[in-house]
Amino acid sequence: MNIVLAGVGGNGVVLTTRIIAEAALKEGTDVRVGEVHGLAQRGGTVVSHLRIGPDAKGVLVPQRKGDMLLAFEPLEALRQLKLLKKGAKVILNNEPFVSVDSHLGLSKYPDVCLIIERIQATQDLVDVDATHLAIKAGSVIMTNVVMLGTLSASNELPISRDSLLAAIKARVPQHMVEANFKAFELGEKAFRDWQAAKVCEPHPDLSN
Amino acid sequence: MSGNEAVARGCLEAGVSVVTAYPGTPATNVVEALGEVAPELGFWAEFSVNEAVAIEVAAGAAFSGVRAMMATKMLGVNLIADALTVVTVTGVRAGLVIVTADDPQQFSSQNAEDTRFYGMLAKAPVLEPADGQEAKDMAKYAFELSEQLELPVFLRITPRICHSSFPVELGELTKPKRDGKFVKDKKRFVMISTYSRPRQKLLREKMERAKLINDGNRWNKVMDFQNGKQFPKGAVFNTFGIIASGLTYPYVEEVIEVMGLSARVLKLATTFPLPENLIGSFIRELDQVMIVEEGDNVTEMQVRALAQHRRLSARIIGKDDNILPWSGELNPDLVGDALGKVFGIKFREELTEPYVEAEKLITPRIPTLCAGCPHRASYFAIKEAIKKKGKGGSVMGDRGCYNQGAYEPLEGMDTCICMGASIAMASGVFHSGSAEPSLAVIGDGTFYHAGIPSLLSAVHNRANITVLIFDNSITAMTGHQVNPGSGQNLMGLPAPFTNLKKVVEALGVEHVKVINSFDTKALVAAVMEEVDFDGPSVLISRSPCALVVERNLRKRKLKMPVAVVDVDKCTGCKVCMKKIGCPAFGWSQDPKPHMEVLPHCNGCGLCMQTCPFNAISIPGKKEGVLGMTIRKEVPK
Repeated sequence: MNIVLAGVGGNGVVLTTRIIAEAALKEGTDVRVGEVHGLAQRGGTVVSHLRIGPDAKGVLVPQRKGDMLLAFEPLEALRQLKLLKKGAKVILNNEPFVSVDSHLGLSKYPDVCLIIERIQATQDLVDVDATHLAIKAGSVIMTNVVMLGTLSASNELPISRDSLLAAIKARVPQHMVEANFKAFELGEKAFRDWQAAKVCEPHPDLSN
Repeated sequence: MSGNEAVARGCLEAGVSVVTAYPGTPATNVVEALGEVAPELGFWAEFSVNEAVAIEVAAGAAFSGVRAMMATKMLGVNLIADALTVVTVTGVRAGLVIVTADDPQQFSSQNAEDTRFYGMLAKAPVLEPADGQEAKDMAKYAFELSEQLELPVFLRITPRICHSSFPVELGELTKPKRDGKFVKDKKRFVMISTYSRPRQKLLREKMERAKLINDGNRWNKVMDFQNGKQFPKGAVFNTFGIIASGLTYPYVEEVIEVMGLSARVLKLATTFPLPENLIGSFIRELDQVMIVEEGDNVTEMQVRALAQHRRLSARIIGKDDNILPWSGELNPDLVGDALGKVFGIKFREELTEPYVEAEKLITPRIPTLCAGCPHRASYFAIKEAIKKKGKGGSVMGDRGCYNQGAYEPLEGMDTCICMGASIAMASGVFHSGSAEPSLAVIGDGTFYHAGIPSLLSAVHNRANITVLIFDNSITAMTGHQVNPGSGQNLMGLPAPFTNLKKVVEALGVEHVKVINSFDTKALVAAVMEEVDFDGPSVLISRSPCALVVERNLRKRKLKMPVAVVDVDKCTGCKVCMKKIGCPAFGWSQDPKPHMEVLPHCNGCGLCMQTCPFNAISIPGKKEGVLGMTIRKEVPK
């Protein structure tokens, strides 16, 4: 199985990849992970490729061979779309992060509604407001855990909920475990409550 | 474990006794991992001040009979070349392994140079692992090979090894040796020409021996594939062959299996010197051979030469025929495209119309200086000073985090060439007769690395330049590694705090000032003054890295006061954005267009100085505090 994770530096893409990989390893599955985070801390694009199972040879997922995308930011989801099989699941945090150059008018951040539409043209999309759910759970830092909850509830992963929670517990500070579990549950609930027929209203121009 | 960790583990299993490096992506955490366990396991690990020093420390240890490893990114190999090309002549007494991380895709490098040329130049063998297991096992083996040949050995890895994670089976650790002794032998170690010249013959002999050893290298494997199924060599008949070096092998294997291709494959781990007998017999039985390698056409050139030398008629194809791309890293799709040209198949799933439509919306995301970064404040001040002065001016840049200041809107530096280039290039601009002020910016880590000789030279040659040292007392770019200004070393031991100001003064610079990076008024005034001074002057703009401060505060559960926008006062003019372009600025239209501060604001306060309407404030920040701080009302 080929999973792609995408986001912006600071989203926790690398950490989330490791949580999934550790959970998979614990269940005795072969895992390979490829990451790109050259300027991860400086607002750059971060991508990781996670390949689970015996078919994984190299670390990179070839074009349109991906089975799933976990995207922490809409534009970054779009950037990795070409790696996905038609109909593959996309779990998206729909909160955009507009870069400085877009604010300056040097590039145009696309309308989020349009991004979602384009993704839906080929993929099975579930979008969640993970950023605000994480804030509700206690901190924006846990956005990635909300996403993990949504991913788990989607039943797309060959990894059990318990293994994911154990891997989260092993990775976060002791005093944050409870809050993280709450964030995970909010993510699960977001999946259950998600309405496929949700109408996307065009947003105002975010970069202007 | 990651490829970098696997390499580190391999070194531990080899009983490495001395480890040196200078931080450089993607190789940095090879040595970081070792620095953590060095005190416990009883070996020495250091971040040297630059790569030239690092290789010399490692070679000194290997001369003294203990195993040593030096790690660098490929650009650092340019600095080690001076020592390396002589150390291959002397040879080593214990294993000396150079781990070099090449970056063919240029994720974080100024060029895409291929280290294997340095192997050829210096006559040092090069090994290339295909995955994490091999990275670990070959790191260990590299010491054995180094001792067998008495030569330094390169282990060449790339980001897809370094930053990938693999299942790795571990071996036993070996206790490091701590009983090094340098045994004198002037004809071997004093490389004046009298003693060096006779040793060239020995080096040539070593290369011939290395080829024979590589013929039997256990990671060089030949296998046959028929309709995508793997067979032992010779079990099925093939006329088409592939030589796949290092981590391109898994890509080749994947394409062959998925597409059901038939080919004989040589998985090549020893990319210099080539295992000539193995390759000779491999191509002798084939009509056509494709060379798959990342970087330049290093293997391809050598295989062509070998085929000519041995009068073999197989057609060699690869980069020279533009069947494989010349630049960038390889991936399964590119390997599939290349094999597709031979077999007439399509591995790559084409992007259909809806995918193409979606691609059209994609815009690039340019990295920025972090929210609260003191470099932003320094650039802002330089820009203001140059503007006020009205004489123009160029800012020669260097290599570090502050490179992000080259983008809009700061556009704070005009060059980025290599470590330490800023000061010397600013001197060059001055000596060219330029009428404009000549400035240089360099970080503290880079200054210690390569800036000191150029500043000394500027003093000696009376260059009228103004140098700004952006001092955050850490090597931030590669992930906050220690440097001589950090007060501790890689192993976590206390180290003398280098007094940067005194160093600069000792070099003979008469005008030296230390200024808080967020004291914009003082910094602007100082730049304006020093630009007029006839001679080299140095301004140390000092403030800690925002990420370090933020993490330390978060660990202690302390909160930072952050900026707040008065929506009534903000006119949405975007002056703040146009002046300093902070990533913590968002934009809102509700109820009217205004700047909105995002949660990752670190409260440095620079934006307050840019707003023409005083719409930005930082509630809870003490009066007169410059830069990031904690909230006033924090309980004692």
